Amino acid sequence: MATRELSFRSADALVGAAGQETGLVEQCRQGDPRAFARLVAVHEGMVFNLAARLLGDAEEARDVSQDVFLQVYRTLARFEGRSSLKTWIYRIVVNHCHNRRRLWSRRARGASRPLEDLTPSDEAKLSRAADGGGDPYDRVRRAEQAAQVQAALLSLPFRHRAVVVLRDAEGLSCEAVAEALGLPVGTVKSRLSRARETLRKRLGGPRGGDAL
Amino acid sequence: MTCKGVRKQLSAYVDGDLESVEAGRLDSHLRECASCAARERSLREAIERVAELPKLVSPESMAARVLSRLEVETRGPGLALMFRPRGAARPLMVPSLLPAALVVVAILGGALTLDRFRNGGAAFAGPAWDASVADSGTEQNPLFPSSDVTMPRARLGRIVDGAGYRAAAGEGSFFLETVVARDGTVSAVTLLDGDSVQARPIVDALRRELYEPVRVQGRPVAVSVYRLISRLEVRPPRI
Repeated sequence: MATRELSFRSADALVGAAGQETGLVEQCRQGDPRAFARLVAVHEGMVFNLAARLLGDAEEARDVSQDVFLQVYRTLARFEGRSSLKTWIYRIVVNHCHNRRRLWSRRARGASRPLEDLTPSDEAKLSRAADGGGDPYDRVRRAEQAAQVQAALLSLPFRHRAVVVLRDAEGLSCEAVAEALGLPVGTVKSRLSRARETLRKRLGGPRGGDAL
Repeated sequence: MTCKGVRKQLSAYVDGDLESVEAGRLDSHLRECASCAARERSLREAIERVAELPKLVSPESMAARVLSRLEVETRGPGLALMFRPRGAARPLMVPSLLPAALVVVAILGGALTLDRFRNGGAAFAGPAWDASVADSGTEQNPLFPSSDVTMPRARLGRIVDGAGYRAAAGEGSFFLETVVARDGTVSAVTLLDGDSVQARPIVDALRRELYEPVRVQGRPVAVSVYRLISRLEVRPPRI
């Protein structure tokens, strides 16, 4: 017979108001599946969005996101807390995307399905803003513009793309980007400068909405 | 300051990273040079467009899938090897053989015990080694949906639909775990993320739900289901 004793615990009670991240990490290390589910729920948006922007393919981004969380689970014992958990996860996402991209380029000839760039339709379907209502024409225009920017991002070498996505799309400081990528700050700034210059040239025309 | 020098520093300039003296020089150059000023404007616009990219959201909740993959991997080294991603570290052969040897010993032991009982004509009360797996699939240790464990199906007329969840959720967003007991009732609802006061109507509704009991190899099992409920979306995990 099923136990009818109902449990009801708020997130605060589960994790603790102070030192939430440390508490969550510690609970995950002890093998608490609920704590790990919460860790996934907290970071899955960031992980999927970053993977999708770096790979330009929603299906691949989903696979990579799952692999990222599996690696987080397996290697959480080695997380020393020198950086924030989020920064540590950023690094895992970038490494996975880099490996996936290399794998695809190596297998490109024999691949049954090539990496597909995010289309305006993907942008509209997957973006939070698209759910928010508003003028349908505006939504389509925004999706077209986003697809144009995404295509420009994909034209960059991966090492430049990673820097510009973390800095300008995710809003990290150059220091945080350097920490996430394990690079000197000077290297981040020089890659950022080159990446932005390429984007400037590619996005130099009028915004994509005019093409509609 | 030359145009070439300006181009080199333009990215740091728009980030406000330059020392005030250097930034002042660049300012005055930009006031005088239309070409560099146009370059600065287009650079700012490109940066703005990247910053304005919408945040993409996976259409499926990740937690249920990740947890079910972990469940598969932790069942044993044999299955873990089958599901291990390409390139992941391989376990040593000898430690992997140890559990396999234990299983062989257990099966042989079980067969010998059965044989002894049959020869002695005594009734057999059940294999002792089954006790080690009895806890799995109970309300205290529920299974996660996977290829072997189906998602619980709600009994008609009792489930709260998406609109009901949304109405109850209001502006909030909640991540919940529901344990569907072996008899199809909901034995536990745990709020993992979200405001506990706002979540109360949803938790109450979830507690009243009834499901068809989930069976694995004919045995009813308790199953843990994760849900993300928000004003914009209702995402029970799909396996």
